[in-house]
Amino acid sequence: MFTVDCDCHNYWCSATVLEPYMEGLFKDMFVRGERTGPRGAFPHGHRPWFHPEGFARHDVQPVEEDDNYAIMKAKHLDKYNIDVAILTGDEPIEASTLANPYYADALCRAYNDYMIDYWLPKDERFWGSIVVAPQNPQLAAAEIRRLGSHPRVVQVLVSHGAARPYGDPFYHPIYEACAEMGLPFAMHLGGQGGINSTPIGAGPSTFFWETHAILPQTAMTHMASLIANGVFEKWPDLKVVIIECGVAWVPSVLWRLDANFKALRKETPWLKRLPSEYFKSNIRMSTQPLEQPENIQHLWATLEAMDGENTLMFASDYPHWDYDDITKLHIPPQWREKVLGLNALDVYTRIPRPVTMAAE
Amino acid sequence: MAEKHFACKAEQVSAEKATIVSVNNLSVGVFKLDDGFHALLNVCPHKGAALCEGPQCGTTRETDKEEFVYDKAGELVRCAWHGWEFDIRTGEFLVDPKIRARSFPVTVEDDDLFVHI
Repeated sequence: MFTVDCDCHNYWCSATVLEPYMEGLFKDMFVRGERTGPRGAFPHGHRPWFHPEGFARHDVQPVEEDDNYAIMKAKHLDKYNIDVAILTGDEPIEASTLANPYYADALCRAYNDYMIDYWLPKDERFWGSIVVAPQNPQLAAAEIRRLGSHPRVVQVLVSHGAARPYGDPFYHPIYEACAEMGLPFAMHLGGQGGINSTPIGAGPSTFFWETHAILPQTAMTHMASLIANGVFEKWPDLKVVIIECGVAWVPSVLWRLDANFKALRKETPWLKRLPSEYFKSNIRMSTQPLEQPENIQHLWATLEAMDGENTLMFASDYPHWDYDDITKLHIPPQWREKVLGLNALDVYTRIPRPVTMAAE
Repeated sequence: MAEKHFACKAEQVSAEKATIVSVNNLSVGVFKLDDGFHALLNVCPHKGAALCEGPQCGTTRETDKEEFVYDKAGELVRCAWHGWEFDIRTGEFLVDPKIRARSFPVTVEDDDLFVHI
């Protein structure tokens, strides 16, 4: 079965790999300036919850930079016959936490150049995400236009932690650029520190595991905001991918949005369809970490309510602690072909369809 | 076949809000618009609330950009409970015209309004 992994983290051992891709002031800041940790740490505002064990799998222990690919190849790509891995970086999305948008932008540009230079040529299965710092949408849009036409770049990526809901017109220059380049806009769990000070409603929760379970709150906000602010009316072909934010909450939020819209559509006269219809046409959810109820039917009824057959895309989150093993992915068996690969090919249109499929 | 029932006097109906009358054991809202009188069953097809006791108002017209064009002023009734907007003339729910409030023809004889049910 043709398999696309929509969340495969290309790690580094040390953020110093970015040094050759930086220059001038921001290189000085990167090399000599303060950062969150020792030399090799990526500058970012850290979240107030520390994973008690560190959040990489303990059977993934790279020592040299090249180990990162070698281990990924052996323990993930080859082992599970992954046909396409969408690289989602790791720390670079944390640039969204920095107050200085120019430094954040310089870090993202350096990462994108490094990713294209170092990672993409390593394996034909790799397709890249360009990371942008959304706190300055004009700079983000310029970066999207700078690299967005690279033939192996397939999406624009930010953290789901943000300074404001992503539907806000403040961010629309980003969607304008995505639409112009024909790229989806993706948000990945992360960026819950620094200027993104409100990842949890009512204030910061206490423990890591507790917090990790409720971080999808922020994604709910973004989903509602993108729909309500008419992003999909302005850019009807834009796809938004929500990565690692859970999925079982989606029907509940859509039901609530639809109900409210029926009463109060006059607040947003630019909308022409029910919120749930925009979700189904324009938003895709990555599966990992797929909720695990004791009774699988409870999950499947929920997935059906969000048209999961067409809105879900497989993701492993390699090599993180809550990794989903594709051979144990608990979705309805008749959906597997779509969820494991075909839905992603509809979103990432630069990835060629396999010859056998194209002939059909 | 529809039967004619006396509803109320024309002077009892303002252009501001519905006059609720009891006709043939049904609660009916009688409205006054520019083109004459209209009547809706005072039961919302959504949850059965007192539809016609909500505000008679207008709403924003569907647009292609971020603008607010007030439209249909006084031609809609917003259900008293959940606020669904219905076109007083046709009974159509704006978000989904397949859903309709039940409407009745109104005739005027001198000062008397009759609802045909």
